[in-house]
Amino acid sequence: MRKACLFFIFSFISAQWSAESAYLIENNRKEVGFFTPFKMRINNGSEIGIHKFLLMPSVSFKQEIPMYNTWKMARKFRIEYPTPGLKWIQSPLGKEMGEPNMFSLISSQFEIPHMLSFYAQMIGTKGTVKSGQLSLRAGAGIALNGKNLSDDATIDLPIIYPRLSVYYNDFIIESGGQYFRQFTDRLYYLIDYDMYFMPGGVGRYAFEQQTLLVWQKSNKLHLSFGYKLIVGEYPFGGQAHLLPTINLKFGW
Amino acid sequence: MKIKYFINSLFISLFLSGCDPLVTTFDEVEDAVMYQSNIIKEYPAKESISVMTWNIRFGVARLDFALDACGDRVIISKDEVITSLEGIAKKINDLNVDVVLMQEVDVQSKRSSYVDQVQWLLNKTGMNYGAYASKWKSQIILADGIGRVDAGNLILSKWKLEEPKRHQLPLRGDQDGLTQLFYLRRNVVTAKVDMPGTPFFAVNAHLTAFATDDTKQKHISGFKNILDDIVLSGYSFVAGGDLNAIPPNATKSNFCFEDQCSLGDYDPNDDKKGGCDFTEEITWLNDLYGNYEPAITLEQYRINELKHYTHSPGGKLDLDRKLDYLWTNTSWSNGQTHQTATTLSDHIPITADWVVE
Repeated sequence: MRKACLFFIFSFISAQWSAESAYLIENNRKEVGFFTPFKMRINNGSEIGIHKFLLMPSVSFKQEIPMYNTWKMARKFRIEYPTPGLKWIQSPLGKEMGEPNMFSLISSQFEIPHMLSFYAQMIGTKGTVKSGQLSLRAGAGIALNGKNLSDDATIDLPIIYPRLSVYYNDFIIESGGQYFRQFTDRLYYLIDYDMYFMPGGVGRYAFEQQTLLVWQKSNKLHLSFGYKLIVGEYPFGGQAHLLPTINLKFGW
Repeated sequence: MKIKYFINSLFISLFLSGCDPLVTTFDEVEDAVMYQSNIIKEYPAKESISVMTWNIRFGVARLDFALDACGDRVIISKDEVITSLEGIAKKINDLNVDVVLMQEVDVQSKRSSYVDQVQWLLNKTGMNYGAYASKWKSQIILADGIGRVDAGNLILSKWKLEEPKRHQLPLRGDQDGLTQLFYLRRNVVTAKVDMPGTPFFAVNAHLTAFATDDTKQKHISGFKNILDDIVLSGYSFVAGGDLNAIPPNATKSNFCFEDQCSLGDYDPNDDKKGGCDFTEEITWLNDLYGNYEPAITLEQYRINELKHYTHSPGGKLDLDRKLDYLWTNTSWSNGQTHQTATTLSDHIPITADWVVE
């Protein structure tokens, strides 16, 4: 059960890992990572992504749009239903408060209402992976029914706090970018950043910078590892964290 | 070149600050954290100093907190915490005490809505300086949604505090390694009060409550050793705290039936339950009573035991035991247990006047 709890946390940590360019996944190809969503192309020319952590279901659609100068462009929409996951994290082992309720990240004194969040994002990509591919993205998210969630029920940890903040603040602005480049036959590197602005929140911003070394063993398997540096504001004040990251991704 | 140097420095700084430990551990002796009031008031030296000890239950008064009582809440709202602190500050100001030995003070804890209670109390009372030592400091406690916590012991003083030290006490010996890692690190905090003409030491302790082995005995012994060292160095002290031990002449020593949250929780045939049965520990304070002067003597306690009770758990307002003490190597006068403050915490403040010699 402790592993399941860690998996939940790493699911969050890694949710943004997949190289997020404006290019869609190839026709008939499917991808899934230990911690990243399942992705596939659907018939209408869109890419669908499904987060496999069933307690926090999330579905995204990415569609190509006309190019802007030399930039390849795409738009992405995502919907997320966090309620079952947040309820589970209140008592992962099914214990009562004070027993102690081990691995609980949100006190069970709080009611978790049914909530939904919607995100819209624009992505632009320039260049090739061989010579260096730059992608920039920006978007916003809104939440429904977050007003019924107590502002004291936050999880004040890096990665998790900004990604759940939309449910406490009703609104979030996201932007990010990445540089992805191949430097040998099988090795790539990725430098990535994400910024979260949480207007009205007690913690108002988070900045994440990640560097990954990617080893593509074949078209079917690739392994990545690196670090993620997070600087953010939380209800207790500002703090920086440095976390290791690792992922194994499969494609077919 | 300068820009490159700046960027490199920024990233190195971020890397280092990103390496804060999940759980903070402490050296045997290390500096306590110093605070001061936003506005420093001037105080002359006095011949009689009013000293208080008070476990303020991290500013949640008698609310139904889940972990030390029978409540169903772990996170207390900022408004509730401030209301409680206002009551505590009023009591300190009304009694016009000069030195306060405070236990269970939160400075950055989710459970008390991240109110920095040390700074808040300094700004709202006549106190000028504070010396704080964490007993529980972790970025996350993975239980009951407690989250981030930084709680500890505090010395407040009207006069400047010097040589603030945090003295680590032994960890509980009856816990597994993982629990022990995330559990409390009890300590004694000491500081020299720089009263003009007569500097003296203030010593504040919060000893283990729930250990079922001899950890509490080690804590009492560690506390006394610190007092002995101060006397050996030629200084006097005012000391106190929540010792989680009852006087040797207490008429009742087992509170396990009274403390159970619901009937049947306590079975005397079970293993020893920590925190409620003091029967085997009844003599553990003899050494302190034999060597130092208490603010409430054993004779005063014997004559009217009820009047000197300082604790009842959680929301129960009927005080039923004495756990809090003031000590000195010289003498006290006017020792009082302020039972009118019963609603402000699960512990009652004790004050006494320390006669400067």
